[in-house]
Amino acid sequence: MSDNHADLIVLGAGPGGYACAFRAADLGRKVVMVDPRATLGGVCLNVGCIPSKALLHAAEVIREARHGDDWGISTGRVSVDLDKLRAKKDSIVEQLTTGLVGLAKRRKVQTIRGTAQFTGDKSLEIDGTAWTFDQAVIAVGSAPVRLPGWPEDDRIWDSTDALELSDVPKALAIVGGGIIGLEMATVYAALGSKVTVIELMDQIAPGADAEAVAILRAALETEGVTIHTGTKVTEVKATKAALTLSCDGGYDGKIKADAAIQAVGRRSNGPQVAPEAAGVEIDDRGVIPVNVSCRTNVDGIFAIGDVTGNPMLAHRATHQGHVAAEVASGHAAALDTDLVPSVAYTSPELAWAGLTQAQAKDRGVDHRVASFPWAASGRSLASGGGDGLTKLVYCPETQRLLGATIVGRNAGELLAECVLAMEMGATLEDVALSVHAHPTLSETVGFTAERALGTLTDL
Amino acid sequence: MSDITAPPSVRALARQKGIDLEKLAKDLGRTSIAREDLEGGKPVGGPAGHTSYWDVDHNQFGPVTEEPMSRFAQVAAANLGAANALIPQVTHHDRADVTAIEALRKELKPEAQARGIKLTALAFQAKALARALREFPRFNASLSPNGKTLTLKDYVHIGIAVDTAHGLMVPVARDVDRKGLWQIATEISDLATRAQNRKVGPDEMGGASMTITNLGGIGGIGFTPIVNPPEVAILGITRTETVTVWEGDTPRPVPMVPLDLSYDHRAINGADAARFVSYLAGLIADPRRIMV
Repeated sequence: MSDNHADLIVLGAGPGGYACAFRAADLGRKVVMVDPRATLGGVCLNVGCIPSKALLHAAEVIREARHGDDWGISTGRVSVDLDKLRAKKDSIVEQLTTGLVGLAKRRKVQTIRGTAQFTGDKSLEIDGTAWTFDQAVIAVGSAPVRLPGWPEDDRIWDSTDALELSDVPKALAIVGGGIIGLEMATVYAALGSKVTVIELMDQIAPGADAEAVAILRAALETEGVTIHTGTKVTEVKATKAALTLSCDGGYDGKIKADAAIQAVGRRSNGPQVAPEAAGVEIDDRGVIPVNVSCRTNVDGIFAIGDVTGNPMLAHRATHQGHVAAEVASGHAAALDTDLVPSVAYTSPELAWAGLTQAQAKDRGVDHRVASFPWAASGRSLASGGGDGLTKLVYCPETQRLLGATIVGRNAGELLAECVLAMEMGATLEDVALSVHAHPTLSETVGFTAERALGTLTDL
Repeated sequence: MSDITAPPSVRALARQKGIDLEKLAKDLGRTSIAREDLEGGKPVGGPAGHTSYWDVDHNQFGPVTEEPMSRFAQVAAANLGAANALIPQVTHHDRADVTAIEALRKELKPEAQARGIKLTALAFQAKALARALREFPRFNASLSPNGKTLTLKDYVHIGIAVDTAHGLMVPVARDVDRKGLWQIATEISDLATRAQNRKVGPDEMGGASMTITNLGGIGGIGFTPIVNPPEVAILGITRTETVTVWEGDTPRPVPMVPLDLSYDHRAINGADAARFVSYLAGLIADPRRIMV
């Protein structure tokens, strides 16, 4: 054994990596965690979920203040001190990443700043220093995809740059109308940018329920966001004055912008760890295939999170992290569910899990759909909540829930009930007979089930 | 998504116990599985099982030691418990004259030695059972989970219950009706040996028309085996005994093998079972008739 030997080494300290390292330590393992960042928490805490949520909260406060007039509340002109907002966001990130350091210390997880690359199936190098290990977990995440053929220009951002909040461009083009693109549109529209979203597919938030997406789209357009779907960016020109995006398809023409965000997806960082040196299989998209127990093809080497492919979501990585830690420590565990919720923290939020109506139809799954419009929700109206919809897909024979989509304020929180219901195999009646507090937004889930059963009296 | 519903905690427990939920649900004829269904050894699906009977501090009565039930034994226990709870079973007892078979085995002994094969009585019994199953197709059948359909099988595979060091295993000899005695004897011996060494593949188990459980080498004059689902019957065999048979006023010593057929009363009625075993005993008594 060399001096540098790890019982279990976790490559990456994102939400997958630290969850895995901490769980393994709690199971009595001696754990080493390696990450190139100065702080723990990976993309999620540093340049992803958390800072974006801080900015989205700010955007919501701005919008609320602007719409106060309806309620007789005047705030005057809302101004934003960008430096202060950035500092607030950074302080939240710092609080959480510092907290992680404490959690790691308490568990005696050794953290090393560096970049690891395999040199064999039981060995690797961290910035040139040789290490051996008994077991390893690859949790190095993903990075934004960079579109080919674009010029090099400081005004072309990825999601990380956009979260830096260096300035608020007058005109902002966002290429990619997925969750990340739409969240950035929500933030920058509130901050005062004239935002244009360009999406290649026929709808924004591709894969989500079309009826719910229409509500989100209308809300974004009301906030001044221009949306072009079915549109391809064919060329980008950078001049001193502006970036010019040539578009083709649904929108045919040129868009001038002071900055552009590329938000067309993320790509696995798998190749960075030289998996081939350990004999770990990796596909041409950089994805490392794993089974439900997060095992790669090499005994003793696991992979979790974005490196294992879609859906690239922090909560999936966290669950996989626990699974890998438990399996590596001799327990039987697996992530044996398709119910990984997707949430766009836009205004309104869009959240879904399980089968959408379109997926059920495409897959030939026997299904029916019920929905409840939030215009009939007392709580939504009383909160000035705007439009929303709760929609359930269910099996007509067993009455079990197959999928849920919610668009509206706090949709991401409301979805949790639906996920638990589906995991427990709940039927419409189970949901309808569970007493939901009045007046709440969660009531809309119960109402939707009642509507399917024909027992609803609120419509 | 799976068609079987079970809460996440139950799925996790099943994984820890090595239980296949889809299979368990199928065995129980259900679409949902609860925690209680996984808790080992109870007669699953049957009347509410009170494990409190076993919740006893045996130490108070004298010294005891404990050893864990192997996972293999726990799975077998759960299966046997389910079979016993779910199947209304009856055992029919009879016996067969093995004079002719014993004579034939003796006659063939030199050839068997030359071939390096032990021509066991079990091989004859398996062959006779295969013939009887062809004659009585309802015994070569399985009920559907909802009990609405009887599937009749156009093949004859015989399961052989093997007592191994790690527990009971049932490898299956295929197409026994189409094979000769030498081959049947060879295959049974091979399966039994490999079962002892845990070298029987999953494709070599399951799919039997009927199972034979043979205690002849150990002893006994009869027992009531438990039907091995989805089969509808199981044949138990105990030790051949020479008994007195009266032919008129003349007593004659005859070697007789006890036959115990447990059957699923939902699929087979008692008169049919009596006819089946009587026919089987006839084949054993006069093995030439197997060929006729």
